[in-house]
Amino acid sequence: MKRLVTVPALVLWRALFWTYERATWQYDLMVIAILAFVWLTPPVWLGDPVAHDPGPIAWMVERMGSGE
Amino acid sequence: MTFTGAIGAVCMWPLRAIIAACVMLRVHPNALTFAGVVINVLAAWALGLGRFMLAGVLMIIANIFDFIDGKVAKELGLESRFGAFWDSVMDRFSDITLFIGLIFLYSQLHRTDYVIITALAMMFSVMTSYTRARAESLIDRCKVGFMERPERIVLFMIGAFTNRMAAVLWVILVLSIVTVVDRIYYTWRELHGSEGLVTRRAEL
Repeated sequence: MKRLVTVPALVLWRALFWTYERATWQYDLMVIAILAFVWLTPPVWLGDPVAHDPGPIAWMVERMGSGE
Repeated sequence: MTFTGAIGAVCMWPLRAIIAACVMLRVHPNALTFAGVVINVLAAWALGLGRFMLAGVLMIIANIFDFIDGKVAKELGLESRFGAFWDSVMDRFSDITLFIGLIFLYSQLHRTDYVIITALAMMFSVMTSYTRARAESLIDRCKVGFMERPERIVLFMIGAFTNRMAAVLWVILVLSIVTVVDRIYYTWRELHGSEGLVTRRAEL
């Protein structure tokens, strides 16, 4: 049980107090997480002043709502 | 090879050709650095007008210059301490210029919220560089934290080309704050450790 708590805490600690070099698998994971946030978050959630398209998540939610 | 390593290796192919051309023409590396800043100013102007595609293209060109200057200096045997200083100073100008372009754009759109977010992102981006520079005057090395200049520049390009600048600004802001805190903490730990060691030695 203790390990279940310490592993996520350790992952979070290492993600925040970053010491990894570029082109490591940890760097890749961070890049993927950032790109997912940038591309998948609907611009309207962030109040984007320039982007007005719904983005992929809003598009999927809309499609699921319409039963397609 | 990692995903980001592969992208880096692919990008190096055309860059090698450009470096070779600059070496052949004996272009001074400081001139390349300055050209990068001038093109970044044009990119900022395009951002200010909301022309993100044009800004993205200009940022790519500007950062090619910025990337190759050190390599050209090495190839030509023109590496100098002033060159390193000049490069760092010009990098700050380039960084700040791009943020000013966005601040202008959001102010024109009457979006005070994003003017503030962009200004804060700019402040913490500058602080990211400053904390490392200041720390390395006290300790050997302070290369910790994720959000450094190359990451910031690539994110700016992604934001410009895919029209996701708001999300990019949030990422830059949050991760720059984390990086600054990270560097302050790392420097404190290094100094605290060494000062503690000195005190203990003195006591002995």
